[in-house]
Amino acid sequence: MIMIDKPSQTPKRLATALSAVAATIAISALLAGCGGEQSAPAASPQSFSQVREQARGQTVRWWMFGGDARVNEYVDEQVVPAAAREGVDLIRVPIADTAEAVQRVTAQKRAGESDGGRVDLIWINGENFAGGKEAGLWLEDWSEDLPNSELVDFEDPSIKLDLGVPIDGQEAPWSRAAFVYAVDPSAVPDPPADFEGLLDWVRENPGRFTYPAPPDFTGTTFVKQVVAELGEDRAFEYLTELKPLMWSEGERFPASEAELNELFANGQVDFAMSFNPNFISTAVDKGQFPESTRPLLLEGGALVNTSYVTIPADASSPEGAQVVADLLLSPELQAIKADPEGLGIPSVLDPGRLNQRQRDLFIEATESPYLLEDFGETSVELPADRVAPLEERWKREILSGG
Amino acid sequence: MEARDPVRRLNAPGGRSSTWRQPGLLPALAVLLLLFGGAMLGALRVSLIPLGDSSGELTLDAWSGIFADPSFIDALGFTLKVALIATVISALLALLLALTLRDRGLIAKISGASPVPVPHLLVATIAVLWLAPGGIADRVLGGLPIDPVRDPGGSGVILVYVFKEVPFIALLLLASLGRSVKQREEVARVLGADRRQVFAWVIWPALRAPLLLGSLIVAAFTIGSFEVPLAVGPNYPQTLAGWAFEATRGDLISGESEAAAALLVAGAIAVALAAVSVRFARDVEGG
Amino acid sequence: MAERLWKAAGWLAVGLLIVLPGLSLVLQSFADSWRAPSVLPQEFGLRGFEIAFSSAGATAAGLDSLLVATATTMLCLLLAWPAARALATSGINRSPVVVLLIALPLLMPPYLAGFGLTEWFIRLGLDGTVTGLVLAHTVLALPYVIVILTFGFGSRLRELEEMADLAGLSRLRRLAWVGLPSNRPALATAGLLSFLVSWSQYGPSLAVGGGRATLPVVMLPFIRTDPQVAAALGLLFILPAMAVLAWAVRSQRNPL
Repeated sequence: MIMIDKPSQTPKRLATALSAVAATIAISALLAGCGGEQSAPAASPQSFSQVREQARGQTVRWWMFGGDARVNEYVDEQVVPAAAREGVDLIRVPIADTAEAVQRVTAQKRAGESDGGRVDLIWINGENFAGGKEAGLWLEDWSEDLPNSELVDFEDPSIKLDLGVPIDGQEAPWSRAAFVYAVDPSAVPDPPADFEGLLDWVRENPGRFTYPAPPDFTGTTFVKQVVAELGEDRAFEYLTELKPLMWSEGERFPASEAELNELFANGQVDFAMSFNPNFISTAVDKGQFPESTRPLLLEGGALVNTSYVTIPADASSPEGAQVVADLLLSPELQAIKADPEGLGIPSVLDPGRLNQRQRDLFIEATESPYLLEDFGETSVELPADRVAPLEERWKREILSGG
Repeated sequence: MEARDPVRRLNAPGGRSSTWRQPGLLPALAVLLLLFGGAMLGALRVSLIPLGDSSGELTLDAWSGIFADPSFIDALGFTLKVALIATVISALLALLLALTLRDRGLIAKISGASPVPVPHLLVATIAVLWLAPGGIADRVLGGLPIDPVRDPGGSGVILVYVFKEVPFIALLLLASLGRSVKQREEVARVLGADRRQVFAWVIWPALRAPLLLGSLIVAAFTIGSFEVPLAVGPNYPQTLAGWAFEATRGDLISGESEAAAALLVAGAIAVALAAVSVRFARDVEGG
Repeated sequence: MAERLWKAAGWLAVGLLIVLPGLSLVLQSFADSWRAPSVLPQEFGLRGFEIAFSSAGATAAGLDSLLVATATTMLCLLLAWPAARALATSGINRSPVVVLLIALPLLMPPYLAGFGLTEWFIRLGLDGTVTGLVLAHTVLALPYVIVILTFGFGSRLRELEEMADLAGLSRLRRLAWVGLPSNRPALATAGLLSFLVSWSQYGPSLAVGGGRATLPVVMLPFIRTDPQVAAALGLLFILPAMAVLAWAVRSQRNPL
């Protein structure tokens, strides 16, 4: 388990613990309004100006999950115009699951295509990145050469490794994620602080807790956090103890985060959870969660990871895709994305590498009751090769067993 | 059985070979064979050559892998069970619905058929909205006698399928209950047939083929699709297609070959079912 | 008495199974907030439709879907008419292999298309085009159309056609005056199904279309994650399809 420094004092916080800070960061409304004033990145290598030149007039198809209205709006209203100013026509392809984009790329590969692919950019998850990297699906050695990559700490293990797999310049970081829980204090006035406390709480309130069944991403993450905190064997004992006390006596599980949110909204359970640290605000915005819902951390810290964008090796507009990936890392767009009034998705930029003007884009204080001040003592996820065995064991011992 | 009689087949107007020689069939067959045939071969190849494997050699790993996996075997059994129950209930209710609707007005017919254009996934979502614990029905009634969503027995899946497929089969049946059937019914009645006889001699023969066809389509669909089981089906076991879908979720590349193999198994079951049905229909018509 | 009871039960079933779920979909699309324990939405608003028309791009996607579905229906009917005639003449039961070949796309799991169809269409250079999308949908809808039309070609049609031949009608007139009208119920049902197969196609559309956003493609990601937007898009999806259904059911009445 890799620990990231816990932020101690406010002045130092920006410089040291970027993953923890990010959620507290927001942008002034003033700057959000004029995304047009993009500054030219400080030191752009010679080669990237050629990339920019070739990108002009290209069409970039960005395949990404299309079910989050606020992310869609951010891309349509901020990223697309910014790309247009670079002469790149950015088209957002809405998909229900990342695997659909990867499947399209494998079909192209099987058809023997080496360029002209219709997937230029993918918002990718760790497992699919790892598999695609092994199969040689991704464009190599580009992400660290993006001009804005100078603002990213590529030595930070939570950036350098995606689920334990080195990114090796094949994907560019885009967003921070932190695993947070949601409770409504009117239902849970005294929420548990750790997993033992959760078990006690569930004993007193049987049937009021559940988590999505792995291999759902959110469910797997819950199991991973339990394993990270308690060790694998104790974790499975814990989950076995938990099972009969859970919703529907552990006989049924929600199959996805969306379904757990439904149960939470329907008043069937008192806990929701997500890797999107701003999911409560999104759910309140949709009228799904009561406004009194608040975020919660267990074990004093969140599991964190980074999400990335990758470019298939056979993309028809690899240069345009790099220009877009670079834009996504610009302090302006990162700051707009981190705005708690908007998306509230933490930035991947290293505050220590930002100049004063760039740092001013991000404002620290947030009035939003749906966001945490910080993510506490964060821990990085287990590597990808441990995920499948964990999921198998969960199926065997928890789902079928007990 | 008579259809197998060689003498009878020789005497039949138009033997098997003549169908191939019909020029009208050629464009449709060409499109299907070229476009779908190529797709099927591609899918078979996916199941035999994993993408990460650069050697490009054929391997049966995916096939032996799925049959060695107990969760796949459970999925196979569960799929067959759900498909059988959903198809039989749908066919019976569709027969009832079609007979009820045939003499009704346009509004009744359109209402009866209205679930047909609604996507399965949307139906499943509406079912969840109403029937999930804490859903609308629960809120109105303060409790539900049934709990179909994610029921380990699969009742939620069957419920959604029946809701969707009854109108679909009924629509096929209604298309075959045109005016000529009505006229023959009248003739039969004039000749003194009672209601049961009219049904047995006139209506049933007109409905038999579309009912069989509709049931076959429904069975194939319930065997091969994953949306509904994913939305309201049990966590375990899954259906075949759901199993295949999940195999590609985390890491597509490692699961791709097994998913393709699992789906081909589902397809093979549907084809076998169709072959038996065609055979059965032939025997019935021949007899 | 029994007749009236039967009728009342019928309308009760329509109310419970059709009207209520339909109504709930409409409510959901306007529900800015709808949580337990409230039976009705707490807040109404246009958020669902605003998002449907802005970032989801329902208008463009809907027009794309309409174009593809119409073209698919035309192409299917064109290909299926002679095929169904041939099958009906030679006897559908006498050619099981042909029937199975034709039915293959109906029998194979739709998800399999993601593995074979995409690759094959890329190889043929058909992916990412409207033509490719129409052809992909045609493959999946054609079996329905052929089989339904085949049922429509009963012995009665052959008798009528023989009469037309005796009257010295040209083949075109025979088709226009006898073939098409007498087969109208089957044509309507077949047309309806091919339209619906195309209209609701998700996986193959996404894969073969190479990112072309049709209505199901923009709708599917919202299902479950954002019920209000999904309901708004669902209504935009269902209403045109209902209109086609109503037209088809009306046309099932046989004029001859």
